[in-house]
Amino acid sequence: MRISQAQPRSKAATRAGETVILFSVGGVTFAIAANAVDEIRELTGLLEFRPGKLHHRLEKVKATLERHGRRYFAVDAAMHFRMPHAQPARLMVLRQGRVAVIVDGIDRMQEIHSIHALPERFVGEERNWYRGLTVIKGKVVPVVHPETFLNKAETTLLNAALRDVEAPRRMAVTA
Amino acid sequence: MTEIITVRQTFVLFPLGKKRFAFSAEHVSEFARPDEPQTFPHTTPLLTGVVVRRNQIVPVADVAPLLVGSDAPVRKFYLVVNRKLNGKVSRTAIPVTGECELTEAEQLPVTGKLPAYVSGLLSLKNEIVEVLDIEKLMSGEVRA
Repeated sequence: MRISQAQPRSKAATRAGETVILFSVGGVTFAIAANAVDEIRELTGLLEFRPGKLHHRLEKVKATLERHGRRYFAVDAAMHFRMPHAQPARLMVLRQGRVAVIVDGIDRMQEIHSIHALPERFVGEERNWYRGLTVIKGKVVPVVHPETFLNKAETTLLNAALRDVEAPRRMAVTA
Repeated sequence: MTEIITVRQTFVLFPLGKKRFAFSAEHVSEFARPDEPQTFPHTTPLLTGVVVRRNQIVPVADVAPLLVGSDAPVRKFYLVVNRKLNGKVSRTAIPVTGECELTEAEQLPVTGKLPAYVSGLLSLKNEIVEVLDIEKLMSGEVRA
C-alpha cells in the first residue's frame, strides 16, 4: 500500500483547523501534520543499518531506505517514544530531512480544530516530542513534532556512520 | 504582655490507604469521581496520564507510591489541585483512595525529619496530618 501526496500542503493549517494523520505505535494513537508526511508505505525495501557504536539516542535508527536516489534513515517510533512494545508494519516518509518513521499502523486523516499546549506539569522529553495535545472524540491524542524524530546533528552523525559502513563494501566491489 | 495569634486555615484532608494527608483548601478546585485516565508516552516521574475536565486536559499525578508505598489501595477519586507554575495556573489531578474532608485547623511548623514536600502539620483529634506542598512533591524533593 502506498499513499503519496504530490504537492506540499502548506495551507493545511488554517484558522479553521489542521489536517493530521493519525498513526499508532504500541497501542497509542499519535497525530502528525499531514503536510509533514510525504509518503506512507509498507516496510519492504528497508535495509538493515548497523553503524557500530553511536550515541545511544541513535539506536532508534534501525534501517535505511533508498528512495528516489536518496537515502533515508528509518527511525523506530517505539524506541523514539521509549515504548516497550510495538508491531511495526508501516513507514511514514517525512517531507523534511531524510527521515522515515517506522510505526505500527496508519489510522486515518483527520481535521483537528485546536491543539492544547502540553500541561506545564510535563517536564520530560515529551516537551520536545509533542507540539501539544488534541482531543478527538473524547480521546487525548499527542500531536508530534516531526523534526524531533531525527534532528540535523543526528542526521550528520548518521551520514558519517553510513559512509563508514559503506566504504569497506565499495572497496570490496572495486577489488 | 505578648499576644499569641493563632491563624486557622481551611484544609482538604484526603486518604491514601490508612493515612491521611492535607492540601490547603485554597489550592483545591475539585473533587471528582475519575474518568479513566488516558496515557501517552512521556518521561515525567509521577505522572500517569491525563483526564479531560471541563474542556481542559489535566495531568494525573499518582503520588501514593511516594507517600505510602507501592501497596496503596485502589484510587477511587481525584482531587484537582491548582497551583501557579511558570506564571500560569496549572491543574493537577491527584488520585486518592476515599472520601475527602474539609477542616479548619491551625498549621503547625514541621518538626523533626520530614520530607521537604511536607510544609506543615495539623494536629487533629487522634492524628497528626502532614500538609503537602504540591510543587515540592512533584519535584521529588526529599529532605535529608
